[in-house]
Order: sequence, then structure tokens, then C-alpha cells
Amino acid sequence: MSDQKITIEYNDRIIRHFLIATVIWGAVGMLVGVLIASQLNFWQLNFSTPWLTFGRLRPLHTNAVIFAFVGNMMFAGVYYSTQRLVKARLASDFLSAVHFWGWQLIIVAAAITLPLGLTRGKEYAELIWPINIAVALIWVVFAVNFFWTLARRREPALYVAIWFYIATIITVAMLYIVNHLSIPTSLLHSYGVFSGVQDALVQWWYGHNAVAFFLTTPILGIMYYFLPKAAGRPVYSYRLSVVHFWSLVFLYIWAGPHHLLNTALPGWLQNLGMTFSLMLWAPSWGGMLNGLLTLRGAWDKLRTDPVLKFFAAGVTFYGMSTFEGPLLSIKSVNALAHYSDWIIAHVHAGALGWNGFMAAGLIYWLLPRLWSKPLHSVALANLHFWVSTVGILLYVAAMWTSGITQGLMLNATTEGGTLLAYPNFLDTLNTIRPLMLMRVIGGSLYLGGWLILIYNFCRTLQGAQAVNGTIEVHEEAPAPDTKLGLAGTFCNAPTVFSVLAVVFGMMWMVGNDLVSTAGLAGGVLSLIALYALIPSRAQLWNGWYEKLLLNALPFTLLTFFAVVAGGLIQIVPTVLVQKAQNVEDRIQVPYTPLELAGRDIFVREGCYNCHSQMIRTLVPDILRYGTYSRLGESIYDHPFQWGSKRTGPDLARVGGKYPDVWHIRHMEDPRSVSAGSNMPRYPWLLSNNLDVSVLPAKIKVQRMLGVPYPALSAQAIFDDVGRQSRTLSRDLRLAGANVAPEKEIVALVAYLQQLGKSVPVAPKPAAAR
Amino acid sequence: MTPTPKPTPPDQDKLRPHVFDGDIQEYDKRLPNWWLMTLYGAIVFWAGYWFYYERAHYGPTNAAAVEQQLAIIEAKRLAATPAVDDASLWKMSRNPVFVEAGRATFNSTCVSCHTEKLTGGIGANLVDQLWIHGGKPTEIYATVTNGVLAKGMPPWGPVLGGKKITEAVAYVLSYHQEGEPIEVQAAWVPIAPK
Repeated sequence: MSDQKITIEYNDRIIRHFLIATVIWGAVGMLVGVLIASQLNFWQLNFSTPWLTFGRLRPLHTNAVIFAFVGNMMFAGVYYSTQRLVKARLASDFLSAVHFWGWQLIIVAAAITLPLGLTRGKEYAELIWPINIAVALIWVVFAVNFFWTLARRREPALYVAIWFYIATIITVAMLYIVNHLSIPTSLLHSYGVFSGVQDALVQWWYGHNAVAFFLTTPILGIMYYFLPKAAGRPVYSYRLSVVHFWSLVFLYIWAGPHHLLNTALPGWLQNLGMTFSLMLWAPSWGGMLNGLLTLRGAWDKLRTDPVLKFFAAGVTFYGMSTFEGPLLSIKSVNALAHYSDWIIAHVHAGALGWNGFMAAGLIYWLLPRLWSKPLHSVALANLHFWVSTVGILLYVAAMWTSGITQGLMLNATTEGGTLLAYPNFLDTLNTIRPLMLMRVIGGSLYLGGWLILIYNFCRTLQGAQAVNGTIEVHEEAPAPDTKLGLAGTFCNAPTVFSVLAVVFGMMWMVGNDLVSTAGLAGGVLSLIALYALIPSRAQLWNGWYEKLLLNALPFTLLTFFAVVAGGLIQIVPTVLVQKAQNVEDRIQVPYTPLELAGRDIFVREGCYNCHSQMIRTLVPDILRYGTYSRLGESIYDHPFQWGSKRTGPDLARVGGKYPDVWHIRHMEDPRSVSAGSNMPRYPWLLSNNLDVSVLPAKIKVQRMLGVPYPALSAQAIFDDVGRQSRTLSRDLRLAGANVAPEKEIVALVAYLQQLGKSVPVAPKPAAAR
Repeated sequence: MTPTPKPTPPDQDKLRPHVFDGDIQEYDKRLPNWWLMTLYGAIVFWAGYWFYYERAHYGPTNAAAVEQQLAIIEAKRLAATPAVDDASLWKMSRNPVFVEAGRATFNSTCVSCHTEKLTGGIGANLVDQLWIHGGKPTEIYATVTNGVLAKGMPPWGPVLGGKKITEAVAYVLSYHQEGEPIEVQAAWVPIAPK
């Protein structure tokens, strides 16, 4: 050991930046949440103003909470703990600053573009393509800064928190890039490269794993650093960390299709999503156990320490929502809960309880350390805790009750199961209105709690001195025998057995009879071999893993392979299969240029936030909306609009259900034709002129993506729009509504009136897997 | 004279030797049995479920299952369709129980187009003596049941069923007299809402 002692000063300046951003964006995200929750009960709060309507603000709320609030909190926690866990200052102050300011700029860009209706129309992936590129670049900056820091570490072994950070960084990059592949039609608009069922599958592979790898794994890593610190207790079980980390990152990625249960998604993918979601239960609870059991011997501190209060409650909420997740993934439970407020309850137990409380604990823990001053008021922090807890419980209880009530009413039948008990959707909506109000109260309490935190934060900062942490380290030469080469990483029993398990498992699941039998035999033989080897080799394998922890790159590679498997097996076959084999017995008619323009208005206004376009293979859905949706009916939809929530009724077959004039009146003032509706008014659609100049570029891109449009000149497109809109306008005038053909509403009505129009095709025998 | 060594504590209560960032330590306790059972149980369930639905195809596909349920519903509906004729519909229209039930259905389902006073809005006036698709009770019944999609009248048969449609028609007929003149109207021009 050389005796050279050096002092490292951590880059805590950037942590303070991220922490302040967390506090501010948290308040913004919650405030928008309270506003849109109120809009659902009081439609007047949409102010009949385009950029204040629910459909445009709801994406702002979700994006602000996920990417701005939790994002900044994650970066603060990751950067703070990583520097200390690897005993090295962040590799580059410049990259850290670019990361911070770049991310804030992205958030501001999102906050401007989303209310303007600039959107890609996919949940949590709404941001337009120039911002997508910025996000990807800043994420790369984050990755470079992080891995560079790892490369310069003075602590040879990687602690469990670091494992979770590695998984986060590589998986989010993969998911984000694939789900945002698109071709621009203009500077502000693009069409995603996937359509219909492919788009649905990719979207929920992304959407589900945004929850997994943006809202869960980094926060688990943060838990593993800050919880034992705050509790002053050792982590409960290292081997539980190992088992739950690998099972979690491997299994999570498969579970995406549980967002599409009972839909037109091919059945094998639905069964995959459901069973893998159930298998995810134990790995998720592994994290909760390691958190809660670490508190053993420290529970008394909960009485006095608000940090531990927040952490303990946060981890408990994590356990609750990760139990609820698999439960909701069971097809029969999902039939009731999907599209309902139950899902809203589920995500808010996670977002408010797990993410929000972990953020609060983190902030209260870091504040005194980063500014070298005790927290202004512990009593206020405790008050924050109790106000927020009551807020969450009110919120979640209200949404559970609401979701189950509305789900039961929508599914209820009468006269021997032949008729819907509540054929009018509005009856079910108006039943849950008191619960929607209770949700607003719960959410406001939670926001109130956050304002208490902000006050406490500001008072603490008054007159405080920012300090950077330091540590003295001995420069040691790394031990020579710790390198784990390529062979050492991949050619060893644990890796080989894991690969065999996945390969044989897949062969059994999706192979033809011969392959399947071979897979079964291989799987059983591997299991026997594993069982026979464990007693004698366990020690050896433990040693290998300890060695792996000294090797950041091999560890990262193995993590990448673990997460990539699930995505490949689900998505590649669906994308490669000929579109023609993915249509079932109906295929949609490509939109006319006018209808396409109308569809883009539908996407712009965020209609999918409240209206699905997917009639499930369930009797109540069929009785209410018509025969179940076939894959072919959305095959040309870029993006797909299957939706995830029915605040209003499904629209998959709304075409032709009402006269054109009904739609005009409905968009102008929904309550004039649907008494009791909570839908916003859209008067600007009747006064805005449709921008047809963008259509040739849009249709060109659609053609490029495989939508069978004939080669049309720009003039031919304009003529077609003119013809169809003039006819519609004339019919409307005859029906008593004077709407000029060039108004946006004409395009929207044209789109709505063809929803569900398709032509039958001969079913393909033996659809390819 | 070395003191007798204390019995080694069970492996799992030992702390791992490595300490991170000055004070973070780890136990290496056994995984709880109930937790392992949850994991193994879910894996067994996956294998069984997958075998049942995807390998052996014992269970029906979503579409096959729902088609079967729909066939049962269709059969029940066919069996339960009430016999409707003009005379009995007129009789029902004078029966306050029928008319009240019909009023409830009408007010929840039909008023958005035909208005609460039945004088017409987006949909036609139902209290005058002008009829587009026929004014005989059975013709009204058919119009409600099958709809007139081209003119925006949805088919209510699958939504309301025979009984409720009968009641709603009785309610409409309660505004009319048997034997009053029926005039043919070509089309309805919607009235803008007030």
C-alpha cells in the first residue's frame, strides 16, 4: 500500500442544483395534477381554451411528474450516492452541468409544446421528435458521466445501489430510443415507425418499463444507499439483493403486454404478459423486504426522524403497489379494472407513495448535509408527512372505490345477461363524481404537504452555507487478479445456466412440437444438473459473483443481456411478421387525406387520454360498443390510439353511430346533446381553419411507412380534401349546422365518422407466431 | 490459556466484510421461505398456465370464448323477444306502469336527440302526426330496434332489448291517439339547441 493520501472533494454543487429542481418541478407536476383532477369534475375549469384543456394538460402532468420531478430526484440521488460509493468525484463537471441544464431545458420545452398540442400521441412518449433527440443526447451525457466516474473509482467493488443505477441507464436508453423511432413530416411533427398492434406492443413495452426502470430501479438504488445510512443499520441481506436484482431486471421487461389484456393483441403475448407479471411479484417484494427489514432495530427512530418516516412509508407503498400490479395483471381482474380509476389508484400509490415519499426522505436527509445547517423545522417535516399520508390514503381509497364501482356498473348486465344494466355511459360517470371530488381533496392535501416542504426548504437555506463533501483516500494500486475477461464473464456456470434456462424456456414456450419437447428436456436436465451442482459449487459461484462486482463493464454487459431478452422475444416476431398476417378477418381502409387531418387533430387534442379505440373480447364491451376490435382495424394507425383509460366511452366503432350534426353540437358544447357529460368544449375547432399545407408531407411519410396510399400530387391531395369537406359541409348545412368546409371540425367529424369502417378479408389460416 | 472460542454465530448473522462509504454494511441473511415459495409458486403457475393455454390448447382463445358467450346471449334474446302488434302496443300506451317505465328509458336514452318534450332536436319530432319511417306502432318499434343508420338513428335493439323498447314505444304512443291521421314526412331538419 502506498501511503499517498489525497483528499477528494465531491461535486455536490450539481446535487444541490438537481435537488432544487426536484422541489420546483414536483410542485408544478402536482399542481397540474390537482387542476386536471378538478377539470374531470368541473368541466368549466377547462376554460374552453385550447392549451388549458384536459387532453393537453394530462400529458403535461404525467411528463412533469415522471421526467421532471422523479427525474431530477433520481439524478440528485444517483450522483450523490455514486460519488461516495465509488470514492471518486463525478468524472466531469462540464458533463454534469450539461446534464443538469440540458434536462431543465427539455422540461421547459415540454411545458411549452404539450399545451400547444404538439404531441406524438403516445403516453409518456408525447414529446415531439426534436425534444426526443435532446432527451437521448442528455441521457448519453448522463451515461458517459456515470460510467466514466465508475471507471475512475477508488472503491473496487460495486455496491447494490450501483447495480440498479447501471440497469436504469442502459435500459432507459434502449426503451426510449426504440419507442421514439419516427420519421419527421415537419420540424414539429412526426409519425412513429410502428403502427397498430406493433405500436401498441412497443409502446407498452416502453410504458411499463418506464415505470420499472425510471420510477423503480433508480429509486431502489437510492433506497439501498440512503436507507441504511439514515437507519444506521446494515442492509438485511446481500443474497436477497443479488436474487431480487437479477430476477427484477430480467422479468420486468416481459410484463408490458399486461397493459393490453383482452384486447386484439395476440393471445400468446397476453398470456406472456400476465404470467410474467405474476412472477414479478416476489422480486419486487424482495426490494421491499430488504428495505423494511433493514429497519429492524431502528424502528424507534421512526418516532423522531422524519427521514425514516418517509422512507419506511415509501417502501411500504412500494410493496403495496407491487402487489397490486400483478393482481391487476390477472386477465379476469383486468377485465374489471382496465380503463378504470383503479389503475389511477395503482399508479398514484406508486407515484405519491413510493416516488414522492422517497423524494421527500431524500430531500430532508440531504438538506442539512449539502447546506451545513440543521433542517429549519423537524415538526414541519412531520406535519408534511402526516398531511401527505392522509392525502394519499384519501386519493387512493377514492380511486379504488371509483374504479371498482364504475367497472362493475359498466360490466353489469340484466335480463339474463343479454342487456347492459347501465347502457348510458354517463350514468356510470355521474355515480363516481363524489369520489372524483374526494380525489381532488386528497391530491390537494398532498400538494399542501409539498408546499410545507418548500417552505421548510427555503427557511433552511436562509443564511445557510453550501458545503461540498470531502473524503481522504489512500491511492492504492488495484489488486492484479481482479480482471474478469470476456471468457470469465460469459463462460462460467451461473451465466451459462441462466442462458440455458432462458433458451430452453423459450424453446418450450414458442417452438414447434419437436423444438418444444427438446426445450422441455433440456430445461429439466439443466434443473437436475443445477440441483446436483449447487452444494459443491455454491462457494465457487459466490466467488465468481464477488469478482464480477469488481468489473463494471462485464457487469453492465450481463445486465444488458438480461433486459434485452424479454424485448426481443416479444417485439421482434410481431414486427417481422408480415402485416397481412396480423389483420385477423378485417382490414381498415386507409384514411382519406381529410380524415387523416382529422385524426391528427384527434391526437393533437389528446382525445386518447379519455377515449379508447379498442373493444375488448369481453361481453360487456361488445354489448356496449359493438363487435370486438380486430388487429387489422388499426393496422395503418401511426400512432395507435387504443387508449388506456375510459373517462368517456370507447370510440372504436363510433363512426355512423350519430349524425354528423350531432358531432358538431357535441364538440361545440357536449352537454347540449349529452346531459351530465364532463367533456371539455372545443369551440376553437369550429373557428380554426384546417392547415392542409402539411398534408402532402404527412402522406408521403405514411406511404414510406407502408400505408397503401397511391402516389398523389400535392394538388390531388388538396382537391380530395376540398371535395370531401365541401360535401360534408353541404350535408351539415342541410341538417341545420352552418360550418364552412375549411374548418378543423369538418376534418375531425370526417375522421370520427369513419371509425370502425373496415373491409372483410379472408382469415389467414395458422397465423404465424 | 486461550479462552474457549465462542460458538460461531449462524452464518447469516455475520456481516459481510466489505464496508461502503464508511458505514454501509450488509448482512447476508437467508431468503425467507415464504418469499421463495411466492417466487417458485409463480414460476409453477406460469408453466402450468402456459401449458394449458398455449401448448395443449385446452383453454379457448379470447375470441373463441367470447363468441361462445355471445351465442348464448343471442339464443336467450331470440327466445325472449316479445310478440308485438299494433293493438297490444296501443293498449300498453294507455297503461300507466308501461308509460312510466318507458318515460324513464326515453329520458335516459332518447332525449339527447329527440328532447324531453319529444318535439325534436337533432332527431325528429315524435308528437306531431308526421312520420318519416312509418307511424304505426309496429313501424315505430322496428325503427327503434333496427335504427336508421343513414340518418343517425342508432339501432337500440342490442342496447335496450325488446322489453324496454316496447315500453319506450308505449311512452311515445301515449302522446298519440289510436286512429289519428298519419302523414308522411320526407326528412327531418334538425333544430339547433336553445
